[in-house]
Amino acid sequence: MTNYVVLNDNEHAKLKIVTERSASYGDGVKYTMTFPFEFRNIQACYPIFFHKDPESGAFYPVALFGFEDNENLFLSESGWDASYVPVMIKRQPFLIGFQQDADDPEAKNAVVSIDLDNPRVNEQEGEPLFLEHGGSSEFLQKATANLELIHQANEHSKKFIEALIEHDLLESFTLNIELNDGSANQLLGFYTINEDTVQQLSGEVLENLNQNGFLQPIFMVLASHSCLRNLIEMKNLRS
Amino acid sequence: MYRPIKKVVIVGGGSAGWLTAGVLASHFQSAERGGLEVVLIESPDVATIGVGEGTWPSMRTTLQKMGVSESDFIRECDASFKQGSRFDNWVTGDNDHYYHPFSLPQGFGDLNLVKYWQTVRDKISFTDAVTQQGQICDHGLAAKQITTPEYAFNVNYGYHLDAGKFAKFLQKHCVEKLGVAHILDHVTSINSRPNEDIESINSKHNGAIAGDLFVDCTGFASLLIGEHYKIPFNNLDNILYNDSALAAQVPYVNEDDPIASHTLSTAQSAGWVWNIGLPSRRGIGHVYSSKYISREGAERELRDYLEPIIGRRDAEELSVRSISFKPGHRQQFWHKNCVAIGLSAGFVEPLEASALVLVEYSAKMIAQQMPENREMMELTSKRFNDKFSQHWQQIIDFLKLHYLLNQRNDGGFWQDNRNKESVPQSLQESLTLWRNQAPWLDDAPHFDDLFSSASFQYVLYGMGFVSHLSQLTLRDEEAGLAAANGLFNENVKKTNQFLASLPKNRDLLNKIKTVGLKKL
Repeated sequence: MTNYVVLNDNEHAKLKIVTERSASYGDGVKYTMTFPFEFRNIQACYPIFFHKDPESGAFYPVALFGFEDNENLFLSESGWDASYVPVMIKRQPFLIGFQQDADDPEAKNAVVSIDLDNPRVNEQEGEPLFLEHGGSSEFLQKATANLELIHQANEHSKKFIEALIEHDLLESFTLNIELNDGSANQLLGFYTINEDTVQQLSGEVLENLNQNGFLQPIFMVLASHSCLRNLIEMKNLRS
Repeated sequence: MYRPIKKVVIVGGGSAGWLTAGVLASHFQSAERGGLEVVLIESPDVATIGVGEGTWPSMRTTLQKMGVSESDFIRECDASFKQGSRFDNWVTGDNDHYYHPFSLPQGFGDLNLVKYWQTVRDKISFTDAVTQQGQICDHGLAAKQITTPEYAFNVNYGYHLDAGKFAKFLQKHCVEKLGVAHILDHVTSINSRPNEDIESINSKHNGAIAGDLFVDCTGFASLLIGEHYKIPFNNLDNILYNDSALAAQVPYVNEDDPIASHTLSTAQSAGWVWNIGLPSRRGIGHVYSSKYISREGAERELRDYLEPIIGRRDAEELSVRSISFKPGHRQQFWHKNCVAIGLSAGFVEPLEASALVLVEYSAKMIAQQMPENREMMELTSKRFNDKFSQHWQQIIDFLKLHYLLNQRNDGGFWQDNRNKESVPQSLQESLTLWRNQAPWLDDAPHFDDLFSSASFQYVLYGMGFVSHLSQLTLRDEEAGLAAANGLFNENVKKTNQFLASLPKNRDLLNKIKTVGLKKL
């Protein structure tokens, strides 16, 4: 379970964050949410698909790491074997939230929360959050910047999804994977962009998508599919 | 010259009229150039009767084909998910109950589980042994999740809906999206051709409205098929005794009270009470036989039923609407160039929500078999009449089955329902067979029967019927037993999975109101 509290330099002065990547620190996940701004980096390593939020039914893009629950094929003894780690993985154990400004009811201030139950959080090892004599550490400053980026990216991502739905570009698919040992794996509950529908879009629609910054991510998603072969290979090596 | 069919005139709004309009207009692209012309004329001041607020799963396909968004439909028609019916006190009257769910028994296409279930029938009900849906309903869970696309299901479902809102919703969709012309006017008289076809109908303000095919959706008035053509009526009150109803709209006590995902039907001394949960209210009513109980007596039983639900004071004060009907149907539904759909064609008590599904099936058959010209219509109408006589016969048999197997001793209604003279020959024959064999795939006389043999299984074995099956040993006896055990185990597993993952019916409906279901 998680236990998020608002971070403050008084109570949390001594906290440190382990930055190592391993399943014991919560990195053993099948997929994570990703955002169009990082698709260029994501598609170099991971297949990008879409998944539905179980609470709202809303679509969001994900980077796929494995085929079974809690399977992350990129994790090994030496950490995370990929040139790029998605921002939603790197954000752990923080969350960004917003509080109403006491003086200005219109304004909202970003506040950083920390999950005190996250195994990365401790007082012995890792990166300190605060400097010895007060003030945020460089690590925390970077983490905060990362969270703000995620917040902005999330708004853009929602509009991206709306555009995909508006133009009927999403389709559900089921992936049946047969491994070298003959065992079968099935990937259910994911969606992708229909390449044929993209190719039939009119010039006007394409222009509009491009102006909103949606065209490039569409092609990044399509390009990312070639990473699936790599992922299957990794799965074959493990089994 | 052959007269081509280019224009259909539907007389009467209500859910029958608008469903028919929607099915025809979307099938024949009335909104496009060269499509079939569909006109619906309805009187501005005839109140429509909300027949049954329950649908079958077929309504999902019907709406989807019309291009309706399921989220819009649920929001605007006060609709909820219906997963079947629960029958309380129909067997002995002593707190018994059974389900007729929409899901088929596990592995229904491959194996008839009745034989294997009968060996453990003292320990588990038929429904709970072969399907998850009874338990899902008992727990007040929905038939799907918010991530399930529109019209797709985790377990099979139809709808409960507000029939008045439904007609308005369909009207808007038909007029704005499907190109149906809507005329609000009174029909004053009918102009005939020499061959007795209807040439046009005269209206008060819009003059004569001509057409090639006329659809009578005028409800109990039955203006065209009954009043004009005088097609005889098959009275069924010697088989199905109920001829009256008292209907009430019952508010929830708390805004977040659970919404049942099944129709609850509770037997009374001379009829039964329906209880249908919509998001904003419940529809509760008593359908009874006026031969066996007075209106006052029926109202008393209804108010007694309401008391534990809304409290004594509200139960006494709630206003109740009275409806009387003749159970039965026309001897023919399609005569000359006129076809009757909905109440004008016939009506029986809403025990298995057969009203709207007959509308859907009628409209679908007309769409698929639309004759090219007037001459071919003779053949089409003959086939239509054969088909719907067959459907009606099956409905009558199936409804009668619910009564026939009762073991209640409280009064003439239930005892008389067991009289052999009141049982149609076709049902008597089926029952004779079922005493020694369980209904299954080949039991169905037609591939397109309304009720599948699964429905007959649920009612028969829900009501405690015993089939004394053949003692002959089958070649694949052992394999059959193993397969049956596999299916029973799978059902237990699936039941647990669904109970853990399906949301509460009200929670899902609330969520659909805010975020909607996705199309994929």
